Amino acid sequence: MHDGSGLIAVQNLTKQFGSVTAVQNLSFTVSPGSVTGFLGPNGAGKTTTLRMLLGLVKPTGGTATINGRLFHQLGQPGRVVGAVLEAQGFHPARSARNHLRVYAAAIGVPDAQADQVLGLVGLGSAADRKVGGFSLGMKQRLALATALLGDPQVLVLDEPANGLDPEGIAWLRTFLQSYARMGRTVLISSHLLAEVEQTVDQVVIISRGQTMFYGPLDQLRQSQQRRVLVQPSDVNALANALRAEGVHAIEQLADGRLAVSGVDSKHVADSALRAGVSIYGIQEEQVDLERLFFQLTSGQFAGHAPAPYKQQGGWA
Amino acid sequence: MGNLVQAELRKTTTTGLWWGLLIPTAVLALGWGLSTGLLGKYFVDFASTSEVDEVSDFLGVTPDQWKVSLFGIARAINISTIFPMVFGALAISGEINRRTITTTFLTAPSRMQALLAKMLVYVLWGAVYGLAIMLFLGIGVVLTSNAGQLPDAGGWVTLTLVCVLSSVLMTMFGVGIGALIPNVAGSIVLLLLYFLVIENVLHLVLAYLEVPAVIGFLPNGSINGLTGSAAVDLFLSTAGVVPPEIEDVLRAIAGAGGALDWWWSGLVFLGWSGIVFAGGWALTQSKDIT
Repeated sequence: MHDGSGLIAVQNLTKQFGSVTAVQNLSFTVSPGSVTGFLGPNGAGKTTTLRMLLGLVKPTGGTATINGRLFHQLGQPGRVVGAVLEAQGFHPARSARNHLRVYAAAIGVPDAQADQVLGLVGLGSAADRKVGGFSLGMKQRLALATALLGDPQVLVLDEPANGLDPEGIAWLRTFLQSYARMGRTVLISSHLLAEVEQTVDQVVIISRGQTMFYGPLDQLRQSQQRRVLVQPSDVNALANALRAEGVHAIEQLADGRLAVSGVDSKHVADSALRAGVSIYGIQEEQVDLERLFFQLTSGQFAGHAPAPYKQQGGWA
Repeated sequence: MGNLVQAELRKTTTTGLWWGLLIPTAVLALGWGLSTGLLGKYFVDFASTSEVDEVSDFLGVTPDQWKVSLFGIARAINISTIFPMVFGALAISGEINRRTITTTFLTAPSRMQALLAKMLVYVLWGAVYGLAIMLFLGIGVVLTSNAGQLPDAGGWVTLTLVCVLSSVLMTMFGVGIGALIPNVAGSIVLLLLYFLVIENVLHLVLAYLEVPAVIGFLPNGSINGLTGSAAVDLFLSTAGVVPPEIEDVLRAIAGAGGALDWWWSGLVFLGWSGIVFAGGWALTQSKDIT
C-alpha cells in the first residue's frame, strides 16, 4: 500500500483560503532517522501545511505524501503516522484511558497499548482522571500518547512544546531524538528556532507560505561567517600583520575594535604576538541563529515603530 | 470497519450523554403513558353515556372495548423520539464542536468509513432508545388503563416494532442534520423548532388548503404516519366497519392526518434521513478541518 520509506515529500504545495494564500508552492522532503524542524513565524503556513500532509485540509495545488502516498491512501493511517496538532480536542468528560481506548479501537491495536503509551508520556497516574481537569501540558502529553498509539513510523508534531514546562521540554527533546534514532521520521513545527535548536538536525524554514531555507542546521550555521572581535594596542600594526598573512576581511568597528572574518581567535592572537601587538580583549562572535532566522523570516506582519509624537500647530 | 464501529461505540459509552438523554426520554414516555390511560378512561366513561350510542353503533363495539390507548401510545412515541433525534444530532456536530473530529479522521482509513461507522452505532442507539420508550410507555399505559382499552399481544408487538423503527429513523435523521449543520446549538434548535412548531403549522396550512395528502410526504408527517397509521390499523382491526369520515378523524387523533400507510410512511422518512445524511456526508467529506 505504501512504500514504508518513512519519507515525507511536499511538492509545490499551495493552499488558498478564499483570497488569502496560506501556503504557496512549498517543496521539501523529510527523511527518516533525523528530527526535522519546521520553522516559521506565526501565520507562515506551518499548521496548514501539516494539516494538508495529514489529509485534514485539501490542497489547492501540489501534493504532500507520506511513504509515497497521500494520507487517505495509507490504509491504516494510525499505524503509519501519528500526529499532535494544535487545537486537537478532547472530550472533557472522558478519562485519559478511555480517550486512548477509543482510538486504540479505531487503529486496531490492543487496549493494553493505551496504558503503555500513558506510562510512556508520564500520565500513568492520571489515567482515570477526566481530561477536562488536565493542564495544558498534560493535554499535550495525552495528545502525544494518542499519536504514539499505533507505534507509527512517522511522527508529526505541531508546536509540541506549547504548554510544557522546562522539564517536559527536556523530556520531549530526548524522546524525539531517540525516536528518530530508531530510524523513524520526526517532523516538529515551531515558531521559535531557539526552542527546537537543540532537538533538530534538519530545518525547513518558511515565511509567507514559501520555503526560505531547507537543509541541515549546521549548514545554516555555516552560512554566516564567524568573526573575531579583537581590541589590540595598535590597530594598524595588527591589521597590517594580518594582511601580510593574506587575511583581508578586516573591518574596524566604531568602538575601536577590529572585526576579522575567516580566521579563528587563535590565528589572530598568534599574528598579534608575532607583530608585537598587545591584545586587551578578544572574542569570537557567536553565530546568532535566532538573528539569522529572523532575517530569513522577517517582513511578514512586521509592525512599525511608533511614530514620533508631533504636535500639530501649537502656540510656540 | 469493525474497528471503527467499536471506536464509535466506545465514544458513546465513555461519556454520560446516552443516559443523560435517556432519563428524560423515559420520564416523558412514562408520563405520557400514565396520562394516556387516564384520558382514555375518562373518554370511555364519557362515551358510555347514552348521547354517544350512535358512535358506538358505527364502530360496532361497545365503548369499553375501544382500544383508545393506541392513540396515546402513537402520540407518545412521536414526541419521545425527539430525544434520540437530539442524541443523533450531537454525533457529528459535537465532535466538530469539541475538535475531536481531527483525531477521528487521523485514525480512520477514510472519512466515509468513519461516518458510516458512526451511523451504524447510532442506529443501534436508536433501537435502544426505542425499546426504552416502549418499555416506560407500556408501564405507564398498563398502570392506568382498563384491560379493554389495551392492545392485544399482537398489537404490542406491532407497536414495539414501529416504536423501535421510528426511534432508529429519528436518530438517523438527527445524525444527518448534525453533519449538515455542524453546530451543536444550531442543529438542535433547528430540529426542535421544525418538529415541534414549523411543520405543525405547515400541517394546518395544508389542511386548510385542502391538500392534506402532502403532509404524509413531509418529514414530521411521515414519521408520525409510521406510528399513527399502525395504531389506527390496530384500532380498526377490532372496531368493525368504520365509515371513511370517522377513519380520517381517528387518523388525525393518532397524529397521522394525511399520512400514508405505516410502511410507506417509514420509507418516506427513511428517504428524508438518507437525503440529509448524504448532504451531511458530502459536506464533511470535502470540509477543511482547521
